[in-house]
Amino acid sequence: MSTDPDTGGLLRSIFPPQQLDRLFDLCGAHGWKLIAASAVVGALPPVFGLREGYMMTVLSEMFLFAILALSWDIVGGQTGYPSFGNMAFFGIGGYATAILVKDAAVSFPIAMVGAVVAVLVFAAINGLIVLRLRGHYFAIATLGILLATQQVTRNLDITGGASGKILFDVPPGIVFYYFFLVVLVVEMAVIYYLTQTRFGFILNAIRDDEGKATAMGFNTTYYKTAAWMLAALFTGLAGSAYGLFNTFLDPQTAYNGAWNVELIAMALMGGTGTVAGPVIGAFGLHTIIEYVESSFVGWQLVLLGIAIIVTVIRFPKGVVGTLRAHANEMDYYERGGMAATEDEEVTTDE
Amino acid sequence: MAIAQFVVNGLLVGALFAAVAVGFALIWGVVDIINLAHGEMVMLGGYTAYWLLSIVTGTAEGSVLLFLATIPVVVGVLFVVGYALQRTLVSRVIGTDIFLTLLVTFGISIAIQQLAIQVWTANPRSIQVAFADPSMNLAGLVVPKMKLVAFAGAIVLTAILYLFLQRTRTGRAIRAVSQNPEAAALVGIDVEHTRAVTFGISSAVAGGAGAFIATILNIQPQMGLIYTLKSFVIVVFGGVGSIPGALTGGLLLGAVEELTAGLVSSQWTLAVSFTLLIVLLVVKPKGLFGTGADNEH
Repeated sequence: MSTDPDTGGLLRSIFPPQQLDRLFDLCGAHGWKLIAASAVVGALPPVFGLREGYMMTVLSEMFLFAILALSWDIVGGQTGYPSFGNMAFFGIGGYATAILVKDAAVSFPIAMVGAVVAVLVFAAINGLIVLRLRGHYFAIATLGILLATQQVTRNLDITGGASGKILFDVPPGIVFYYFFLVVLVVEMAVIYYLTQTRFGFILNAIRDDEGKATAMGFNTTYYKTAAWMLAALFTGLAGSAYGLFNTFLDPQTAYNGAWNVELIAMALMGGTGTVAGPVIGAFGLHTIIEYVESSFVGWQLVLLGIAIIVTVIRFPKGVVGTLRAHANEMDYYERGGMAATEDEEVTTDE
Repeated sequence: MAIAQFVVNGLLVGALFAAVAVGFALIWGVVDIINLAHGEMVMLGGYTAYWLLSIVTGTAEGSVLLFLATIPVVVGVLFVVGYALQRTLVSRVIGTDIFLTLLVTFGISIAIQQLAIQVWTANPRSIQVAFADPSMNLAGLVVPKMKLVAFAGAIVLTAILYLFLQRTRTGRAIRAVSQNPEAAALVGIDVEHTRAVTFGISSAVAGGAGAFIATILNIQPQMGLIYTLKSFVIVVFGGVGSIPGALTGGLLLGAVEELTAGLVSSQWTLAVSFTLLIVLLVVKPKGLFGTGADNEH
């Protein structure tokens, strides 16, 4: 009983479907240019003097969340395996970096390589196990892995236990601003590229009907694990830098339960299975959360819970998905029933 | 002897886990929803009992009879909460993508949990029952009396639920909807209402268990998720829709956790439980007693 939002009238007056459709076509045709343009726009603020302070941190965090949401979407949106445990990759990336930098006195770039290797090994092992599960079982198993990883981290000596790790001599904020920006742009480019390749189509085929994808001769386990490791790679990179960015890591921040929900909510609200959706969702939701956090202390998660419920019930396709469906609504009359449904399947970049 | 003691402790607590899991399994089987807000019902049940006792006695202490008298109220309150949640929110996503159903209940879970923190603060609380000490001594095993009462209470709650499903007209309707909603609707069962009742009684039993949990462990707003996950482990073990399976699963999980806590360290219980969960999911996805929970959706 997906309640299709009855906002057509309002939407139609703001965005006429034909023009919106043309806009989507335009975006589809110039995807690469759009990614390049957003990279340039993202790189500008420091050039114009924004080099430190609150806004700098907030912008860096927006890029960080966009990375997390987009990574979640590789498996959750494109492949149809909604994970509730992505923060495990983040935490492991963060801790591996912190341990290498602090205890092994390795420089940050090398530590990051080590962290990525650790995350990929972890993802490969648990991916081969949990990706055999479907639906509810997959979702809860990933949540279980997240909590178990958090507890193991809390119990070990090498991670500093419950009190965590404090990191000194970290690079200035601007380094992380550009780091998160570069990772985000690279990730957008990689995913945008993949959505146009055989690999991306197979992931979507797995989401739509895994049985048929298998019957067509695709080794779905291979594709799922590859997507899972790709998501782990970017999430782990973000986590790796986050420890130093934050100068502090403990089991509570590294495997942040609230973030774990936020990144899913961001992908959902922006529109799952698209490149632009999770990024738009991350920017939008993080702005709201930052505002609520500073104005109504303690209420941000209440709001998040309510926002998730409303989105799921009213706009399950998210911003991009809803607009896309709206843009296609005239197709039914112009080109017949099949055209409208065909177009909806195409993932686009905005 | 130490091991026997751990097992006894585990079985006593495990019955409570089982009472929580039974409702979780029922919602899963009948409404086809993984209710991630199920643990919050346990939390709300615990707080309802706590506040009832506080209002009556002035402090959260009381005799056993007084405490037991709060249970029917707790059950009633949580039934209404569960019924309303299903009717207003959850019913809107039934039949859509699994991911959306999970997210709606997750959203409910976060909202309730954070509201509870705002209203009641994050401090852990517990109900003190007058005769809690001294413990009984049975054949060399120490058995705290309140744990025994909680154990009996959990078993009674589970048994009542079982009899309700087997013997009453509403119970038969619930089982009919679980087997085939369309056919149930054709013979005149109000499917929406029946699903909401299922949600209500599952929440009620979880809430009742929560009240007992408040006496032997403690309650705090963020306790819910752990109970939801434990319920999941138990249901995976026992099989969806099997009350005897859930009971066995609960007792076993309690024993495993207490053994881990006693022989290794209480810090490792969660890690061991979830490792067990993953192993079970991979090795025996239909549960040891399951009648075929389909692994597809």
